[in-house]
Amino acid sequence: MNVREKASGDTLIGKRIPKMDAPQKASGKTRYVHDINLPGQLHAKILRSAHAHAGIRSIDVSQARSLRGVHAVITAQDLPFQRPIGVAKDHLPLKRDRVRSLRDEIAAVAADTEEIAEAALKLIRVDYEPLPVVATAEDALRPGAPALHGEDLVCVNRNGTTEVVHRAAPGNVAMTFDYSQGDIARGETESDAIVEDVFWLHYVTHCCMGVSGVIAEFDSNGNLTLYSNSQVPFLHRREFGELLGMDPGRIRIIQPPIGGGFGSKLDIYPFEPIAIYLAQITQRPVKLVFTREEEFLASPTRQPVLLKMRSGCTKDGILTFRDVETVHDNGAYTSWGATTPFVMMQTISSLYRVPNCNYQTRAIYSNNPYAGSFRGYGNLQATFAVEAHMDRLAESIGMDPLDFRLKNAQDPGEVTPQGMNFRTCGFKDCLRIAAERSDYQRKHRDNVARWRDPDPIKRGVGMASMLHVGGGAKIYQSDGCGTILKLDDFAHVTLITGASEIGQGSETVLAQLVCEELGLPLSSVTVVNNDTDVTPWDVGVHASRTTFIAGNSAIGAARKAKDKILAAAAVKFDGKADEYDLKGGIVVDRRTGNGLIEIDKLIRSLHFSEKAELVMTTFYYEPPSQHQDKKFKGDVSAAYAWATQVVEVEVDTRTGIVRLLKVNAAHDVGRVINRLGIEGQIEGGIVMGQGYALTEDLIVDHAVVRNPNFRDYKLVTAPEIPEMDVSFIETMDGEGPQGAKGVGEAPAICVAAAVANAIYNATGVRITALPFTPERVYRALRGQAKPPVWDVGS
Amino acid sequence: MSATVDIAFTLNGVETSIRVPVTMSALEMMRDALGLTGTKYGCGEGECGACTILVDGATVNSCLLFAVDCDGRDVVTIEGLAANPLGERLRASFVEHGAVQCGFCTPGFVMQSHHVLTKSPHADAEEVRRGVEGNLCRCTGYKKIVEAISAAERVG
Amino acid sequence: MTRVERYLVPRTIAEAAGGLRDGNVTIFAGGTDLMPQSKSGKAKFGTCLMNIRRIGELRGIKRTASGFSIGALTTITDLRDSPEIKVGFPALWRASDHFASDQIRNAATIGGNLANASPAGDTLVPLLVFDARVVLVSRPNGALQTRTIPMTEFLVGPGKTSRRPDELLTAVEMDAPPPGFTSRFFKFGTRPALDISTISIGLGAVRDGEKLRNVRVAIGAAAPTPIRAPHVEEALEGKVVDGATIAAAVSAADCDIRPISDLRASEWYRHELVHNMLERMLSDVGHG
Repeated sequence: MNVREKASGDTLIGKRIPKMDAPQKASGKTRYVHDINLPGQLHAKILRSAHAHAGIRSIDVSQARSLRGVHAVITAQDLPFQRPIGVAKDHLPLKRDRVRSLRDEIAAVAADTEEIAEAALKLIRVDYEPLPVVATAEDALRPGAPALHGEDLVCVNRNGTTEVVHRAAPGNVAMTFDYSQGDIARGETESDAIVEDVFWLHYVTHCCMGVSGVIAEFDSNGNLTLYSNSQVPFLHRREFGELLGMDPGRIRIIQPPIGGGFGSKLDIYPFEPIAIYLAQITQRPVKLVFTREEEFLASPTRQPVLLKMRSGCTKDGILTFRDVETVHDNGAYTSWGATTPFVMMQTISSLYRVPNCNYQTRAIYSNNPYAGSFRGYGNLQATFAVEAHMDRLAESIGMDPLDFRLKNAQDPGEVTPQGMNFRTCGFKDCLRIAAERSDYQRKHRDNVARWRDPDPIKRGVGMASMLHVGGGAKIYQSDGCGTILKLDDFAHVTLITGASEIGQGSETVLAQLVCEELGLPLSSVTVVNNDTDVTPWDVGVHASRTTFIAGNSAIGAARKAKDKILAAAAVKFDGKADEYDLKGGIVVDRRTGNGLIEIDKLIRSLHFSEKAELVMTTFYYEPPSQHQDKKFKGDVSAAYAWATQVVEVEVDTRTGIVRLLKVNAAHDVGRVINRLGIEGQIEGGIVMGQGYALTEDLIVDHAVVRNPNFRDYKLVTAPEIPEMDVSFIETMDGEGPQGAKGVGEAPAICVAAAVANAIYNATGVRITALPFTPERVYRALRGQAKPPVWDVGS
Repeated sequence: MSATVDIAFTLNGVETSIRVPVTMSALEMMRDALGLTGTKYGCGEGECGACTILVDGATVNSCLLFAVDCDGRDVVTIEGLAANPLGERLRASFVEHGAVQCGFCTPGFVMQSHHVLTKSPHADAEEVRRGVEGNLCRCTGYKKIVEAISAAERVG
Repeated sequence: MTRVERYLVPRTIAEAAGGLRDGNVTIFAGGTDLMPQSKSGKAKFGTCLMNIRRIGELRGIKRTASGFSIGALTTITDLRDSPEIKVGFPALWRASDHFASDQIRNAATIGGNLANASPAGDTLVPLLVFDARVVLVSRPNGALQTRTIPMTEFLVGPGKTSRRPDELLTAVEMDAPPPGFTSRFFKFGTRPALDISTISIGLGAVRDGEKLRNVRVAIGAAAPTPIRAPHVEEALEGKVVDGATIAAAVSAADCDIRPISDLRASEWYRHELVHNMLERMLSDVGHG
């Protein structure tokens, strides 16, 4: 018989697979939320506060309401049953009697056009009573400082009762974390060398190329459809249900392709409920899209952190203790940024073996922008400090920094005092390979020897490593993802997954994993991942979890399908299912390798039989790992990702300009699924890390963002990128899909830490505050810098 | 409302007439008045290149161009590169080299690299990097974009 | 935003100058500065908007008896692509090469860069080095009147020039530099372009054996306008470029510049940059 192979019989795993939606995107045909317009749609704009901190005496919207083309103007007064949003539920979408930051939403307009909505905003009169501005965490902690959330937040329920939804936070403390292992005092006694520094990690922001936007629409049955950029549609559906007092089951979230996520769409922000309220009131679709300036002023930031660290080691190079205290500037309200200590403490306690460790954080309210989650989730900040101290300790005992790290690096099989279980761990391979490929040890020695050379251009190499969750993260009660897989009679697969795609290439990886099981070409898969009415439940895109969790889930569904097809083959060819396999679009005899029948032909015969059930459903929950206890002890992920990056820089001592010349990155990724995609993640992450280290700085001065534009908030551009050499360490994680671990956040984490070490290696000057913009570096080189100080008590 | 003006120009090879407010940008005209949404709003200040279009054979940021100034000119947007051989090679090369992630900046990059390669068909990597210095990408780290552009002459 | 009542598209200088007589006219060519400023509310339109881009006479780089005349509509890309500019006015070529981005270079005009008079305007510093003159045309009573003024008189303050509202900036003229004149331009930044100058320096001189003659130094973003640096020039004129001369020139810069602290740099750092970069440029000249 004539059986044609429809796909290469070889494996798809590890190949360079172009992203499935790339052709559409590259021709400008992809419709992002900005490109969608619904019939009858109104345009919304938000009036934000003119003061960083003020009472609101009154708001007069009468003129705005009477402007031609205006359909609705709302303030908190129009929404008696408003509920708070955010991680701590301390944040009303429209503010009632007080504003706590310049981004605070006071009123909103829905109008026929954006221009009319803008014009209406200008007609709203707000009478403010200015209050003293709390510009820094230091200010907020001063005795007598204004309490920004000094009273309970009370909301009125729809049944008329009242409820305290957020307790007063006296002293401006929004959240605290406290972790310890071993005994610091003992660690200190055992130390031959001790170093201590205060680090300042600055504000940066996501700068997704597509600005924030949403469209809300109610149908005649009162069901809500949201076109949203959310990274966590299922959890947000529930939260919107609570906000609106409606059954979450009647909320449908459609996710058009999004112009970048990086963690920014993990929380609900006021503009989303505001658009919904306006749609509800006008009974028209309402579209709300930010300007770039608004995006800078009113989307989340990375968490700025003041961090004090004390570390010690023995003269043989064994770490003895690490004592860390941080103050996180929480901004005016609590979003995910306040919870980044959860990740920071993992790096502090467990990247290297440290028997004795203390970690304390206070997240402090201020009138500044509030911080959300951002790729790396606190780990950039923690790694910056930890890796500076690895270099400093090595230097103080006269040991090579690579050797010192190898002595303290984790091995596979270790369970750390915090409870993390490193089933696979390629850390030492990462260290060795990155060092070898960059010639780190030789260059490091040579550069130090050239400190006193007259040449004004100095070269330096720096090394940093990281540990991050790579097998999901136990942030919620569970970490699950569902899959529905449907086979049509042409053997075309529709993979319906709960996992959202935010540009990272998850749809292609999931299709690959399915095709690998079913022996089908990628062209026979359609991935559906963007509609909560259709897709199964998932906790969302975060914590580098999608490949791992959704991948395992998709494989589960594909295996069910495969079992069905093989069972049918067994009937048809009168054998046992395990005698057959699926390859290149055909059913083959395992023993002879001979093709027996095209898969589509076999499936067609199944569809026309009586009991074909060619819809597979499955779910994957990460394997039993204990949820952390109240003391943060436990195993947070099914697998952990590791990486070492060595950077090489050039420092111009006449200007302070630091150029990033080269990055040698070695990443333990479990296994490479899509080489093209994973390289793209790593390269993109490195350049994002480069921006964090060298160019990006959201200047927040007295609670005012001074540079809300790309002219003065400098993203890295093409001519500035370093040479990038990426090595993959494949540790074949037993639990990962095809052995893979998550990698999305990892590449951004080490760069700044490595650059700091490289600048020191080039110049002998240690800078403990980011970013390394020319003036900051120049000042440090000339002894004119003001290093960060710990002025926040304890 | 400001005064409006009737203009006529060639848009993607087709004679087009439209009445536009004098203060409208070419970007707003393309997206809101003409429904061509492949040209993206990224910043409105000429700093990101997501709105890059070709006017009389040279790329400009359409967010900085007055719509009225399109009058009498030859304008090409990403949609107009559909049947263009170099445009086709660029698109294929971007796909093949993994130069697309979220994709929001991609149409602008394709437009700009079309101009770079038209001016200098054998541009080296350095020239390509300089050529796209006005286009921001937050996902890819540019390496694959530069590779895609450099290889576009050979694709297809 | 002001209501724009009229839109003018003159085809000739005379037509444009006539239109400007009525007052309250906002002129645009490339639009690269006006459009974002108007959208953000930083610039208000006049009641009349005038698009001068269809005036053919304002285009192109022309040879004149004494040197070159660069039409106001000449784009930065035109300058960058011009062999005459690259060979004869390398400092101006370099400034054009380091100007914003390709898309902006394709749209932005030299006339616009002059008329905006940014303290950090990229082409202004080399134009000062070449002793450029700005040509302004008006039509007060039917006949065209031309006023040609040196750059130093044209630039008045940040965003302020001595152009009268009824005048059209038509060209900038430069004499061919004296034989042997070499020029350099340095713009401080972490990347080649797409950056507002923190400081920029233009330097031109004739090398006469070991000595420098006809020295012209201009500095950008270190005073309310780009400036000539007479004290630096004096410290260099007729001198051998050795360590002592360089030191004298560098310290003389303090008499010429008046930098401010802003988002992009502190006053102190701008001083340091001017010192260090001037020193570097002069050392290069000394060795070259």
